[in-house]
Amino acid sequence: MSRIIYWSSLVFAFFFLVAPLLIVLPLAFNDSSFLTYPMDGFTFRWFEVFFTAPPWLASLMNSLKVALGTMIVALLVGGMAAMGTMLMGKWGQLVLSALFVSPIVIPSVVLGVAMAYAFGRMGVGGGYLSLVMAHTILAAPLVFLSVMTSLKGLDPELDRAAASMGASRWYRFQTVTLPLAMPGFATGALFAFITSFDEVVVALFLASPQSQTLPITLFSSLRDRLEPTIVVVALLLSIVSCLFIIALNRLQKRGETRN
Amino acid sequence: MQKAPSTLLAAITLLVLPVAVYIALYLLPLISIGGLSVDNGALSTRFPALSAHFSDSAEVDDPAAAALLSDLQAMAKKDRAEVGRMFNQELGGMRSLIIDTGNEADEIVPTVAGLTAFDPRWGDPAIWDVVRRNVEPITWRHFQKATGVKPGADGGYSIAPGDDIYLRILLRTFVIGLQVTLLTLLIGYPLAYAVATGSSRVQAIVLMAVLLSFWTSILVRTTAWVVLLQTNGLLNGFLIWLNLITEPLQLIFNRFGTVVAMTHVLLPFAILPMINVMRTIPPAQAQASRSLGAGPIETFLRVYFPQSLRGVAVGGGTVFILALGFYVTPALTGGPGDQMLSYYIADFVRKGLNWGMASVLSLLLLVCVVGLLVTGALLRRAFGWNKAAKPEAEAA
Repeated sequence: MSRIIYWSSLVFAFFFLVAPLLIVLPLAFNDSSFLTYPMDGFTFRWFEVFFTAPPWLASLMNSLKVALGTMIVALLVGGMAAMGTMLMGKWGQLVLSALFVSPIVIPSVVLGVAMAYAFGRMGVGGGYLSLVMAHTILAAPLVFLSVMTSLKGLDPELDRAAASMGASRWYRFQTVTLPLAMPGFATGALFAFITSFDEVVVALFLASPQSQTLPITLFSSLRDRLEPTIVVVALLLSIVSCLFIIALNRLQKRGETRN
Repeated sequence: MQKAPSTLLAAITLLVLPVAVYIALYLLPLISIGGLSVDNGALSTRFPALSAHFSDSAEVDDPAAAALLSDLQAMAKKDRAEVGRMFNQELGGMRSLIIDTGNEADEIVPTVAGLTAFDPRWGDPAIWDVVRRNVEPITWRHFQKATGVKPGADGGYSIAPGDDIYLRILLRTFVIGLQVTLLTLLIGYPLAYAVATGSSRVQAIVLMAVLLSFWTSILVRTTAWVVLLQTNGLLNGFLIWLNLITEPLQLIFNRFGTVVAMTHVLLPFAILPMINVMRTIPPAQAQASRSLGAGPIETFLRVYFPQSLRGVAVGGGTVFILALGFYVTPALTGGPGDQMLSYYIADFVRKGLNWGMASVLSLLLLVCVVGLLVTGALLRRAFGWNKAAKPEAEAA
């Protein structure tokens, strides 16, 4: 009896979790302009549409540009924040961590309104720059957290050992701390990239038609009308997420073997 | 690690850039929302003389009338219409009064008596009340509109029926949040339980599915639901094929679609905290309970479930707080009656560039979210759910 309850609820929940994407994504290859089963045949033509029709490819490029820019800036900001915070005392760490992590809990719509207004006043509304600036604030907390985690995991004895042998602070940082914390930086960079690449809400407030990112194009065409290209985009974005998980997994494994 | 002065110097050097970036791109924009919510620049700068008069005295006298007329004379026709529209939001009829008075401003004798002679409404203290409140540099107009609370002429406050629209939207936001939270907990619990206690194959498969779902973008998962729930979509097609229904059901652009899609999107946020807590529950306890004669259901209900409640609370709290700020999923799967607070915030900016209302509603949302976070932290402390309490839980 209890096993029946357990298994039936587990199977239902598992189905609810995985079925939507498993059912919908294959329609990217459906040789029909209707998003229904049974499939009419196998085709790549919707992929062709994606790579030739103007809004899609351009917005994919925009997304890549913004995500790469965000990755670099957020890595710098979040990484420096984490290293600086690590060097502070207990209270300093508490206050600074709260500041650096806090954007995570602010609803994106609120950040969107605030940034759209403030960036507009600064005269940087609309372009890549404003998107990179906004996404940096969304991504830096994740970089901060992953670098903090890897720095806290370091054995302080290593730094002390290097110091006892006369290594200067800067030299120790370059040769001991930084290489050991590398997986943290790499994980943070991945987080930053995917955060920016998938972000919709803040970008909706900031992007101009020229700097429209892929999620925005997907969002507006979902409101407009359903076409198979939408499923192609969903599939491509899912593939990016899968690659991200694989990379994350590799990084974690490498971190484990090193310790 | 000891903190030598040079360490502090290094820390400060490292922190300058990130703190500056956070202040410029994050804190200042957030603070500007606070300013925008009470900013009345649009009106006060158009009434420089009257605004200056009322900052000295609240008296409606001849200088006030003269100041009003000179401000209206100085304004372009288009500005008068705009100003009238803003006043009209507070009191019907003000738009025509402002436009008419402005058009004839050159002819009117600049005294209270002159104004009243032109239009008797200028003799009404209520009209002047609205004018006085709205030419000041700071306004509570947006807050009044958001809450429906209006100051009466007698100094008291009242809520007019039908004016509490944004409070009702806030209530709706909470109701949808609760519905979604309950569903994610119900559906997520067996999955978390399987990851914590299942065989290693089940654990690996379910955890992989949860993590994949967690890292797939919200928009992609919402897209899947939009395709599934369409009137001519997959789910309706399947139900018709099963002969369960003959006509397609309306599954999307209503509360059903919103709640189902949001539940799916937020499910991993409920499951992951539950897994963390369930993993700390020693399996030996269940074995002990069974060996003492309790059945599997009784063991679960009396030994396992109470200990897993901490994870349920953390997971549920996370989902609820995230749900309050949701925009994308309800916008794509809900109808007009299922939109949450975020939708109206975005709407005010995208449609009318009404920064005042967008800011006030943003503040309302922010206060709710921060309030819940603080409550959550206090509850955690009250229940002793921090790390220190773990041995106690194991001893119980």
